[in-house]
Amino acid sequence: MLTKIASRNIWRSKKRSLTIITAVSIGLWAGIFMMAFYNGMIEQRVNTAITSELSHIQLHHPEFRKEYEIKYYLPKGRKTLEIIDKDSKIKAASGRIIIKGMIASASGSSGITINGVMPAEEQKLTNLKGKIIKGNYFNPQKTNEIILSEKLRKKLKLNLNKKTILTFQDKEGNLASAAFRITALYKTTNTPYDDSNVFVKITDIDSLAGIPNAINEIAVLLQSNKLLDESQTHLKQKFPGTEIKNWREIAPELGLTVSVGDQMVFIFMGIILLALAFGIVNTMMMAVLERTREIGMLLALGMNKFKIFMMILLETFFLILAGCPFGIMLAFASIGITQKTGIDFSRFSDVYSSFGYSSIIYPNLTSRQFVIIMLLVLLTALFSALFPARRALQLNPAESLKK
Amino acid sequence: MQETVIDAHNLSKIYDEKTIPVYALNKVHLHISRGEFTAIKGPSGSGKTTLLNMIGGLDIPSEGFVEINGTNITKLKGNELIDFRLNNIGFVFQSYNLIPVLTAKENIEFIMLLQKRPKKEMEQRVQELLKEIGLEDKINKRPRELSGGQQQRVAVARALAPKPQFILADEPTANLDSVSAENLLNIMLKLNQEENMTFVFSTHDQRVINRARRVITLEDGKIVADTAPTAVIHEQTEIK
Repeated sequence: MLTKIASRNIWRSKKRSLTIITAVSIGLWAGIFMMAFYNGMIEQRVNTAITSELSHIQLHHPEFRKEYEIKYYLPKGRKTLEIIDKDSKIKAASGRIIIKGMIASASGSSGITINGVMPAEEQKLTNLKGKIIKGNYFNPQKTNEIILSEKLRKKLKLNLNKKTILTFQDKEGNLASAAFRITALYKTTNTPYDDSNVFVKITDIDSLAGIPNAINEIAVLLQSNKLLDESQTHLKQKFPGTEIKNWREIAPELGLTVSVGDQMVFIFMGIILLALAFGIVNTMMMAVLERTREIGMLLALGMNKFKIFMMILLETFFLILAGCPFGIMLAFASIGITQKTGIDFSRFSDVYSSFGYSSIIYPNLTSRQFVIIMLLVLLTALFSALFPARRALQLNPAESLKK
Repeated sequence: MQETVIDAHNLSKIYDEKTIPVYALNKVHLHISRGEFTAIKGPSGSGKTTLLNMIGGLDIPSEGFVEINGTNITKLKGNELIDFRLNNIGFVFQSYNLIPVLTAKENIEFIMLLQKRPKKEMEQRVQELLKEIGLEDKINKRPRELSGGQQQRVAVARALAPKPQFILADEPTANLDSVSAENLLNIMLKLNQEENMTFVFSTHDQRVINRARRVITLEDGKIVADTAPTAVIHEQTEIK
């Protein structure tokens, strides 16, 4: 009976109810879409970082990441890589020599990270070839080729096929330098990364660095991020004495972005729902005040306070729930469309890429987030019902019946 | 000896007790027995509605107390009092006061639903009462689709449905035309006789007063007369 009364009551003032239902729909749509947008943006950033820069797991000598000294290479690096490569949970793995050094041209110089890579393996791991905007990927027949970013090229006023000098400290701490010919230019969505990373073949740099056939980093890309903890534990057991870190540990700022982003979207949603709640409180308050006499009559007839409270609560729930399906459908439709087409912010690509974000965002909503949104909506309904219900409970039946 | 249903002792309702006290009711004693058909009359402001509210547990007396079937309702608080009203007292208000979003049938069922009566019993009682009030064909009509008289008949049926100890009716015919008022009175008198239901009215309406078996007159919050009008005495035998 309470359900019947509450559901019919919301249609007593059609215009007012429709206004609130529309507000709920729009609010919910905006909230869900905003959440999906942020989620998509962060997910893309993380995916890009994993697939293009960090990989899921990295293996190093325990001392290597403290100062990035070449002498701390993986003693059985290539053997380790062979074993890792056979694991079915691993999508791709590659060995690297990472050296902090300097690149110089006639116009200037810049501090960089020299990535000595295995061209075929690196291609599987980070799709470096796919990021090339000009020139050709490493040629196995040629030596001393370098791939640098378009941004660095401009900064150093270099051109394709021109030579540049790389300088760094070798294993013994002596300065080593060599000329490399620019074979390709790349561009990612992360400007700071582009600014500071160049790629050469590992075979062109290992001897120069004084560690022939050695590697000081193994990057591992898993079949799925869900396998992260399991695989990391497994590798730690298999290769004791090697530092094995996952992407969250390697780039804690990225992990922080994920958790802060998660909190941010809920704060946004909370603000939207709070604004909605005030509208609903106002509507329900009006409904209670307009029906003072009726509520007094219900109290007089013997409807207890709990039932009166439940009636107001149900009315508020129905009012909100009536707006939910439309808002949810609208949100899913917009997410569905933009998930395929993406939202293009190319006009602001410089701003986005300077923070490592792609300028085309693909919104995405997880089922966990959807469940949390729905719980927040229910909480909003409860919160919005409290004040009008409290007002109704304060009514004196004798006084109310006079109105 | 007839069973006492309502027993009001030394009832007073005083407003502005601390400044200049205004007595809405002044030391009223009242005993009403089962099966009575009582009208409370008096000019506006004489305390009729206040007395009815006290008897119905809708208002708290400043002094005195009310016993319903031996229960001192003045001592009951909150939901205890609401539950007592639910199970013992039927109300008919001046302005119909049906639940606008429910049909005639649902309005009649309403109190029984609150009492959690078995569905079968409710169905049977609703049919019985709808027949009694002559609105069997309006079963699914909402209040706005019924005339004032029809709405008031539904209100009477709703009050009667759970078979309360007595029915309090605050000016039940005040907004009705003479034909509707007459119909309503006939129904109430019939139910009073057939179900031995106790009715207590507050009224200005001479038609109600003429049909009442007992008439209590209030003036300035005091009972100034408590009589059975002669006009009613011989009419009682020929209730339509």
